[in-house]
Amino acid sequence: MNDDAEHPDLHSRQYPVREDMAYQLNVWRFERCGWYLLVILVVLGLLGLFSRGLLSTRDIRSEDGRVRVQYEMFHRNGSTNPMKISVSGVPESTVELELTGEIMEGFSIETLQPEPVRARSSAQGIRFWVQTDTQGQAALFITLRGDGLGVFHSRIVLPGSNDVKLAQFIFP
Amino acid sequence: MDSVLRAAVMYVALLVLFKIAGRRSLSDLTTFDFVLLMMISEATQQALLGDDFSVTNAVLIIVTLIAIDVGLSLLKLRSNRVSRLIDGEPTIVVENGKLLRQRLHHARLVEADIMEAARSSQGIEKLEEIKFAIIERNGKISVIPREN
Repeated sequence: MNDDAEHPDLHSRQYPVREDMAYQLNVWRFERCGWYLLVILVVLGLLGLFSRGLLSTRDIRSEDGRVRVQYEMFHRNGSTNPMKISVSGVPESTVELELTGEIMEGFSIETLQPEPVRARSSAQGIRFWVQTDTQGQAALFITLRGDGLGVFHSRIVLPGSNDVKLAQFIFP
Repeated sequence: MDSVLRAAVMYVALLVLFKIAGRRSLSDLTTFDFVLLMMISEATQQALLGDDFSVTNAVLIIVTLIAIDVGLSLLKLRSNRVSRLIDGEPTIVVENGKLLRQRLHHARLVEADIMEAARSSQGIEKLEEIKFAIIERNGKISVIPREN
């Protein structure tokens, strides 16, 4: 780096413009470091740090395997992402599912398919009653829209089973 | 409140990003560079308005942007350091017919860029006819011909 400043090309001239080459070299150094930072951001974006990708997509189950949730850990304010909740229970029956925690404070549900048999609000969230098929499987396809900012902890609770804990982050 | 914050954050973010991109990215170069600038402006617009298309929101954002811009220009008047930080400084890249290669390399310029500017602004044919070529703060290359 000392070699750089010694090169006659890099001495400050005074005419026709007054130069400060030490400052200009710093500016160029800042540009180069900035470019590396941009590349890192692009790579992180591709990996899904800013929603949708390896780092963001999650597929978790409750301890007894009765509830499975596929969701995005990272969201961006204003954009939508899908969430799929699969439950297994007694065939041809109604299973109760509760979405609780901070999820309803930070997100709004844009679409919910299929329409649950029954839906009620609960103390901190929403309760759904879904109909299972002949194998005892049921799935809820939800489109969540991020409306808040920051971290939101929530739980998906199946009465009689361990709950599934979710943590989601919404970028501005 | 969020409109003002969006406008302020986008202003600062663009300022920093264009500083990282360097001086040449601000001047219209090829048609593609022009299109690239338009794409950046489209992306910015989406972030500024969100899904609020009211007149109030648009005026509020424009007011915020202009207020920050005028505020910064007042700050630049008061302080040379701030002015240098935000606007940059001109840099000589050709001196008395000779290319200052280290500087060209740092500025990511080639001789062809200098000759193009020389031909279009001064009608100069050869490098030796250039007394000074300076890359200005806005990225344009100004050429001063040798008096002959």
